[in-house]
Amino acid sequence: MQTGTKISAIAHVTLVSWAFIGGVFDSEPLPFEVQEVSVISAEDFAALSTPIVAPEVVDQPSDLQAPEVPAEEAALPTPSEPEPEQQRPDPVTPPEPDPIPEPVIETPVPEPDVPVSTPSLAVPEPDVQILPISPAIRPKPRPVERVAPQPVAAPPPDVAPDEVEKPAVVAGETGEIKQEEQEATAPEEATDQIVPDAEETANVAPTRSVRPQARRPARPKPEEPTQQASTPSSGAAQQDAVNSALAEALAGEPEPSGPPLTSGEKDDLRIAVSSCWNVGSLSTEALGTTVVVGVSMSREGKPDIGSIQLLDSSGGSTAAANQAFGAARRAIIRCGAKGFNLPAEKYGQWRNIEMTFNPERMRIK
Amino acid sequence: MMRLVLGLVVGVMMIGQVAQAQNQPLRLEITEGVIEPLPFAVPNFVPANAAAAELSSDLARVVAADLIGTGLFREIPSSAYISQITDFGAPVQFADWKAINAQALVTGSISVSGNRVTVGFRVWDVFSDKEMKPGLQFSGTKEGWRRMAHKVADAVYSRITGEGGYFDSRVVFVSESGPKNQRRKRLAIMDYDGANVQYLTDSSAIVLAPRFSPTGDRVLYTSYESGFPRIYVLDVGKVQRRVLESQEGTMSFAPRFSPDGQKVVYSLSQGGNTDLYLMTISNGQSKRLTSTPSIETAPSFSPDGSQIVFESDRSGSPQIYVMATSGGEAKRISFGNGRYGTPVWSPRGDMIAFTKQNKGRFHIGVMRANGSEERLLTASFLDEGPTWSPNGRVIMFMRETQGASGRSSLYSVDISGRNLRPVQTPDGGSDPAWSPLQK
Repeated sequence: MQTGTKISAIAHVTLVSWAFIGGVFDSEPLPFEVQEVSVISAEDFAALSTPIVAPEVVDQPSDLQAPEVPAEEAALPTPSEPEPEQQRPDPVTPPEPDPIPEPVIETPVPEPDVPVSTPSLAVPEPDVQILPISPAIRPKPRPVERVAPQPVAAPPPDVAPDEVEKPAVVAGETGEIKQEEQEATAPEEATDQIVPDAEETANVAPTRSVRPQARRPARPKPEEPTQQASTPSSGAAQQDAVNSALAEALAGEPEPSGPPLTSGEKDDLRIAVSSCWNVGSLSTEALGTTVVVGVSMSREGKPDIGSIQLLDSSGGSTAAANQAFGAARRAIIRCGAKGFNLPAEKYGQWRNIEMTFNPERMRIK
Repeated sequence: MMRLVLGLVVGVMMIGQVAQAQNQPLRLEITEGVIEPLPFAVPNFVPANAAAAELSSDLARVVAADLIGTGLFREIPSSAYISQITDFGAPVQFADWKAINAQALVTGSISVSGNRVTVGFRVWDVFSDKEMKPGLQFSGTKEGWRRMAHKVADAVYSRITGEGGYFDSRVVFVSESGPKNQRRKRLAIMDYDGANVQYLTDSSAIVLAPRFSPTGDRVLYTSYESGFPRIYVLDVGKVQRRVLESQEGTMSFAPRFSPDGQKVVYSLSQGGNTDLYLMTISNGQSKRLTSTPSIETAPSFSPDGSQIVFESDRSGSPQIYVMATSGGEAKRISFGNGRYGTPVWSPRGDMIAFTKQNKGRFHIGVMRANGSEERLLTASFLDEGPTWSPNGRVIMFMRETQGASGRSSLYSVDISGRNLRPVQTPDGGSDPAWSPLQK
């Protein structure tokens, strides 16, 4: 006999034994209702089964007899000693009013220490004059800020003039070396910035190709110093020529555009401006006015204060628009004083910004 | 070949788009800002002579208190100043004020010659390095220096916020003294900030509901001097009064001037019925505006005088209704839970302030003139009787505390529901009425 068969037989035997011994086949008794009955005698049963006889109807009602009442109950209770008469409260008299003043027109002054006549301040309107402000007292900005004497942060490497100067001096004769230098500076820019999302890399390609093209017009400039250099001039004159050429090159060079700002970069700027946009002191009408403000930015991410201008407004009067513009202007200047956190390699994308300040959510609800 | 051409076309288009994008400004929409008091600085006004030295600080303090009291401004303490204003005509060192984050700067000068005081001031937008409109100069008597300070504060407030101020105004109210069951009431008038309190009547009779005329020179009020409520008109300057409305067997109360000051709308109770009437002051003739068996009271004109808002229980519970000044059918505008009363039209005309009683609590609230956008600004045991500031930005009202020793006092609140603050009065106060700006 195989081992499996043995195990199977033992298991079956065990199972059948357990079924019989363990009472698997015992069934619960069916539920039933129990009703209690009581045994009564035949007399009781007869009494219960006897039909009830209707009472006889009498034509003449019998005389009613007054029930006998015990003497002590019939006696009227003797009135107890009357309680002392309650004092009727005196009618509530209204408080004695103060003597009504004589129907004289003049009202007496109750407080002698307070002068009756109201102060008549002689501040007539004609006294209000507009002070002319002479140009001499116009405020002049201080040359140096007294507070925060920290040096201005160095510009990002991509906007330093050194980069432009290098090709102008070293590679003045030829313009082909330009691209190689661009490749050398690009990694430095990339290391200083937050790397954008991977999807953005696809947009980088056209911008890289644009930058060398933009610099080509600047190439011929170094030729001017070479022409001047033919004359026996000093090194200073040559340096001036180089500087002028450099300035022209910088002026004519379009800013690096780079890929468009990512939504995160835009949100950073939006949040930065929002944190300084205080509408708490605006009138309710100004709170209903949307203004579009234009501003030019420096490479350092600082707003050019003189460039801030109101481009458009809606929802309010001119005065309200000016108030709303003032609040927006303060927000840009205050939070942009240290420079907004903007990617330098995309300067061309945020050089000019139009901000729409919509206070709809800030209105009094 | 075809692919090459397509590639070239796409490449040219991309380059074009890049070039175009380079010229396009970056566009952002900003919808979230902050609501916080604007920091400002008011250095002491520069005294032009020795006699003005005493007032130079007091004047600046009143200006600062006015601005702070609005809840819209926060003063930078003088201890934080980097530079001082010692010459009213000298250039302002904006960098010093930017460094302490003063967004607005008020500089001023004061000179006193005999009883004549001259005050000049300028308001600077520090972060723009420029002045907000040209400076102004006021002159008046020495006793009226507080009022000049209020005028300066009004101008500063107006230049920064763009709306009119309310500091050079007064409030007439019922001054209350004594225990709750034996209150002594008398009319009083004061500056909006509780200064210069003066009493207009004695406490011989109960007085109620004073209301300013549009020019602020007269006050309507209700007095129980004759045993029944009667409407009186009082000349504030002369403190003279006369009965305005008196019919035998009637009670008149809740008067209010029309915007032109020529008419008075009021409630008249006769035979147990209370209706609204309109009286022409010049000839004393009254016209009945409502004819219902319900109680109509607490009327208030719209700023243009074309409509009247009032309280009526014609629907079973007190609610707010609006009708034409000429009378006719009224339109119910309050539909919330609870009971509405004492409606007052805003000087701007866009809002109506009211008292609401709901679930045992009293509220001061505002709603649009058509009844929409109801907002409750306060909640307490008893808030009642709102009145608008001249610029329609602030509401003053009476608040009474619970219990036998409960005291009634005046409070003010911004229509945003912020900046709830008590108004200081010598005694208790109720039934405030705000005057227009003084001329």
